This record gives sequence, C-alpha cells and structure tokens, in this order.
Amino acid sequence: MFDTALTTNDLIFLARGAGVTLIVTAIAVFFGTVMGIVFGVFRYQVGPWWAAPLTFVLDIFRSIPLLIQLVLANAFVTTVLGWRVSGFTVACGVLSLYTAAYCAEIVRGGIEAVPPTLRRAARSLGLSWGQDMTSIVMPLAVRIALPSWIGLALGVMKDSALVYVVQVVELLKSAQILITRLQEPLFLLIVCGSFYFLISFPIARFGGYLERKWSRD
Amino acid sequence: MFNYNFRWAQAMASLPRMLEGALVTLEVALLSMVIGISIAIVLTLFRLSGSRILSAVAATWVEIARNTPALFQIYMVHFGLGGFGIHLSPYLSLLIGIAFNNAGYLSENFRGALKGIPETQTRSARSLGMTPIAAFRYVVMPQMLRISFLPMTNQMVWAILMTSLGTVVAMNTDLYGVTSDLNARTFRTFELFAIAAMIFYLITKTVTLSARLLAARLFRY
Amino acid sequence: MKIKHVVPGLVLAAALAGPAFADKLDDIISSGTLRCAVVLDFPPMGSRDESNNPVGFDVDYCNDLAAALGVEAEIVETTFPERIPALMSGRVDVAVASTSDTLERAKTVGFSIPYYAFENAVVANEGVEMTDWEGMRGKTVGATAGTYEAIWLEEKVTEWGEGEFRPYQNQADVFLALSQGQLDATVSTVEVAQANVASGNFPGIKIVDKAPMVPDYVALITLREEYGLINYMNLFINQQVRTGRYAELYAKWVGEGEPADLTVQGVYR
Repeated sequence: MFDTALTTNDLIFLARGAGVTLIVTAIAVFFGTVMGIVFGVFRYQVGPWWAAPLTFVLDIFRSIPLLIQLVLANAFVTTVLGWRVSGFTVACGVLSLYTAAYCAEIVRGGIEAVPPTLRRAARSLGLSWGQDMTSIVMPLAVRIALPSWIGLALGVMKDSALVYVVQVVELLKSAQILITRLQEPLFLLIVCGSFYFLISFPIARFGGYLERKWSRD
Repeated sequence: MFNYNFRWAQAMASLPRMLEGALVTLEVALLSMVIGISIAIVLTLFRLSGSRILSAVAATWVEIARNTPALFQIYMVHFGLGGFGIHLSPYLSLLIGIAFNNAGYLSENFRGALKGIPETQTRSARSLGMTPIAAFRYVVMPQMLRISFLPMTNQMVWAILMTSLGTVVAMNTDLYGVTSDLNARTFRTFELFAIAAMIFYLITKTVTLSARLLAARLFRY
Repeated sequence: MKIKHVVPGLVLAAALAGPAFADKLDDIISSGTLRCAVVLDFPPMGSRDESNNPVGFDVDYCNDLAAALGVEAEIVETTFPERIPALMSGRVDVAVASTSDTLERAKTVGFSIPYYAFENAVVANEGVEMTDWEGMRGKTVGATAGTYEAIWLEEKVTEWGEGEFRPYQNQADVFLALSQGQLDATVSTVEVAQANVASGNFPGIKIVDKAPMVPDYVALITLREEYGLINYMNLFINQQVRTGRYAELYAKWVGEGEPADLTVQGVYR
C-alpha cells in the first residue's frame, strides 16, 4: 500500500526514539507517582490550610502549558543557574513534577473516598495510623484511584512528545528527522501515531475494564 | 548570585503584544469548546443510535483523540489534510485540532454521564409521545451536560493549555506563538516565558473560578 | 581572631577564582569534546545521510574546528529557533549553524567573523503566477521562525499591508507547506533552494528570483563574553580560507564556481 524509502536503519532510528519516549515516561511516572503519593497523603493529613502552599505550587503545574514548563525550567536551570544539565534530565525532572501534581489529586481523591467510619472502626480496634493506612485505606483507595492513574500514565506518555523543545530526540522528533530526509510526511506520521495508539489503546481499555469490574462489587 | 543578567524591562515592553495573544488563546479555546461539545453530542447520539457504522465512526474518533498526542493531531490536521489538498490556515488548523481532541474526550465523559441517567426517564418521555430526538434533547441532554460540567471545565483548561502547540502549524498570534516569536528575536527566554506562564496561570484560574460561580448559579437547589 | 574570617575568605576566593581562570576555550580543550549546534534540515549546510548521521558543510566545518583544537566533535542537532537558546543554556559550546550576524543577536551572543555568505532566493509553488520577488505581495508566504529571511519577509509583509506571513518551526515544514500549496512562496538561501529543487523531495516548487537582500553573512557563535574562543574562531576562519579548505568544502557541498566572498569593500573587518 505504501511505497516507502524507509530502510532498516531508519526503523532502528525510529525504534530508538520510541525507546526514549518509553524511558522518559517510565522515569516520570515512577518518580511522579512516589512524589504524588507523598504529596497526596500530606495534603489529606494536614488539612487544606496547612497544605495551601503545596496545593498552590502543585496547581501551577496543572495551569501552565507543559511546553512552557519545559522551556522555563530549562532556561532557569541552565542559563540562570548556569548548571550543566542534559536536556534529558530537565525533561525527566519537569515531567515527574507534572505527573506528581496530577497524581497527588488522584491519591487525595482515593483516600477521601474511603468511608471515615470504616477508618474510625479500624482505629478503635487498635490499629495504628500506619496500619490503618496500609491495610485499610490503601487497598480501597488503590481500587478507586487505579483507573485514573492509568489514564494519567498514558497522558504522560502522550505529553512526553513535547520534550523535543529541550533537544531530546524522542519518537515524534525522530519521525520529524526522517520526514526531513525522506519527505514522506503522511506515512511516517501515521507510523508514529500508530505506535502511540498501539501502546495507549490496550492499556486504556484495561483501565476501563478494571473500572467497570470494580465499580460492580 | 546569578551569572545571568535579567532584562525584565525589555521583556515587559512586549507585554501588550502578549496580552493581545492571550485574547487569541482564549478565543481559540472557547471556540474549540463550542465546536467540541457540539461534535461530542453528535458522537454520543451516534453511539446511542444502535447503528453499527455510526457507532464505529464515533468509537474511532474517540479512540484516536484519546490515544495519540494532541501535538500529533494538530500537526496531522495541517500537514495531513494538506497532503490531500485541503489547506487550512494556522488558526483553523489549531482550532480544528483542539476541537477534535475536545470532542473525543467529552464524548467519553458524556457516555459516563449517561450511565447516571436512568433508562426509565427516556421511556417515560417516549410514552408521553416525545420523539427519540425530543426525549434526548429535553430530558437526557440537560442532565448529561450538568453531570459533565466539571469534566467540561477541565477540558476547557486543557484546551487553553493545548493552544501552546500551535507553533508547529506556524500559528503566531496566540500567547505562546507571540512569546516564541519574541524569543526568536531577542532570546530573553527566561523572562519572556515567565511572563507567559503568569498570564496562562491567570487565564486558567479565571476560567475555573468563573466556571465554579456559573455552576453555583446554574445548579442551585 | 581575624584568621577565622580570612580562612573562609580565602576558600571562597579560591572557589570563585578557580573557574574564572579557565575560559571556554580551556574548558573545551580539557574536556576533549567540542559540542556544536548544527541545523540538520538545511542542506547542503546540514542534513542527514542514509544512516541518519549528520553531514554537510557545517558538519565538516565543526569537525575541522574540533580537529584544530585537538578534540572530538559532537554534533547536537537544533532547529533554527532553538540554536541560540541551546548555546545560552550551555548545551553546546559553539553553533556552526549558518547564523546571520545581526545586531539584535549580537546583544546576546558573540559572533566570529563571517565564515560563509548566502544569497537568498524566492521559491514559489508552481501553481502560483510569479515572475519576480515583488510577486510575493499579497500572497501567503512563510519561512523558518527567527531566521534572517523570516525577519526580512515578515517586515515586507507588514510594509505591503497585504498577504500573510507564517513562521514554521523548521525548514522542512516550510518546504512541505510550499510543496503542498499551503504557502505560495518562501525566501531561502540559494544553496538550500537549489538543493531542495534538485532533490525532487518537494515536487511542484520553482525558484523565481533572487531576493533583494544584502548578502547574508553568517558567522560562528558562542557566548558573548568568551573572547578567547571568539579570537580563536576568527583565526580559524581566516586559516580555512587561506589554506583552501573553504574552497574545498564549497566544491564538495555546494558545487561548481567561486565560493562566496567573505570580505566587505570599504570597511575594516
């Protein structure tokens, strides 16, 4: 169907770009989730007043385009502070915080959804705060939060297409480099779009399945 | 402390141009929401229609919009359609790209909202002599839009943030486009983008706050 | 008691003075790599070969500079709008990226003497009636954001008061848009225009006319305060011409004929 000049070399080049996309996503989702859990629990635990500064800072990450966050963080770290940091590091740092900002909301929502009476019952049975958190809240909150978290992780993968602004050659940028040489924009973009789709679609479906399954019982 | 000379005055001189850009950003986001909501309602109807073909069309739209990067979608609207001789200006490419994305996500929200509306309501409406369209229009849709109000606000914020992707289709009149244009001339990257970030923050906050006020007015009782 | 204050003072002074002695030229030599920003969608100055390795006039020029310094060259691809930010952020040491030496840019970065000079051509879609550069009046035109040509073209459109100017993010998108007919015309360097027409990658484009701009002198850039490196680059460019390497690279990448004259009559430097 497509008559293409794409060679094995080019496919390897594209695959390397796809690898970068997946690595950046994995790092951002991992650190973002860890931070998101810490921030989310903290926000729930200390109440809205004491958490206000944190809420404000996290809210900034959700109110400014990711593209600007990347450009600004890059300019600040490298030009203003004068640190020698790679674009990859900046990209992972910004994306992690970006993930954490959304993840904190999901975690807080998950904890709030656990009925307070259940937790009081647990504490009155002599469970410590830690025990209550790990054996009562966590199993229930995870069920509520997991589908949204899957959505977030997939969102981060798609948003990682923007890290090209800090000179990270990920999938979409690799495709653009090949387009420049081969001039087959439609074909290459469809290949690239299909890659995102093939990863995102099954996982999103799985998330939807979990949501349906868990909301039934 | 910093080995960097801030030139805020130089960057601030561009503030009027950036504020004009902010208006364009807001305009694109609002229009993309109006178009997105309209299409999402149509897609929802397609899904409810029972026709296999129409459901497939709706499902394809929703899955592509939700499972590929928005940047890719906007680029495809401009250069993808361009390959077929359909030429859209940067403004229209960006608007249609965002509207496409909005429609996909909102249609999914609407579908979720429909689950909260009992089937019996439609049946009662029909037994009162309403046509299926009238039942949807007067009974189901108002409730669906209300349940989806919060997700719609979130989508509006995303639409505002998505306007920043317009530079890939040579958009240079919106806030991000103006800022990146100024940056390409003066290279005061940090100052210019810090100001742009502040304006974006104010816009999104204003939108979420007004949406909250609007919701309080619309849905009281 | 005084000694207490002196010791940290000395440490601080040493810490501050340490990096001050080594300038970028020293840093490059001691690190063993020269990181060059090169624009790779700008043939014949910069592009990629079949294995997607960087090639072109600018790539060779960077390699020559690295060889002169006795270090390895590392090519960092940037787009036109990104090349100066990449330099400012310390991601690269120099940009060998066909950078026009405008006074506006000189407020931010330091220029060497010119190492190449372009003439610009008007390139149009074949479906558009255009006989000379004035034919661009009232048309939809575009160029790569932030380039010398883009700034010139946008000013012309504003001056004419009709037509539309579109800044794309890279040269490839400009020619793609031109080939698809989304743009009626663009202005680009004669070298790039000829390479793109000859490659056949962009069907339906034609060179119309020379653009009436003064020769577009391009220079190497680094940070404004790095005089040592700028001096070195000036001498390097002089030597490239003197040794005939400049003519050799011109023949290799651009083609037959005399390479562009890098001197300006009637003024020093």
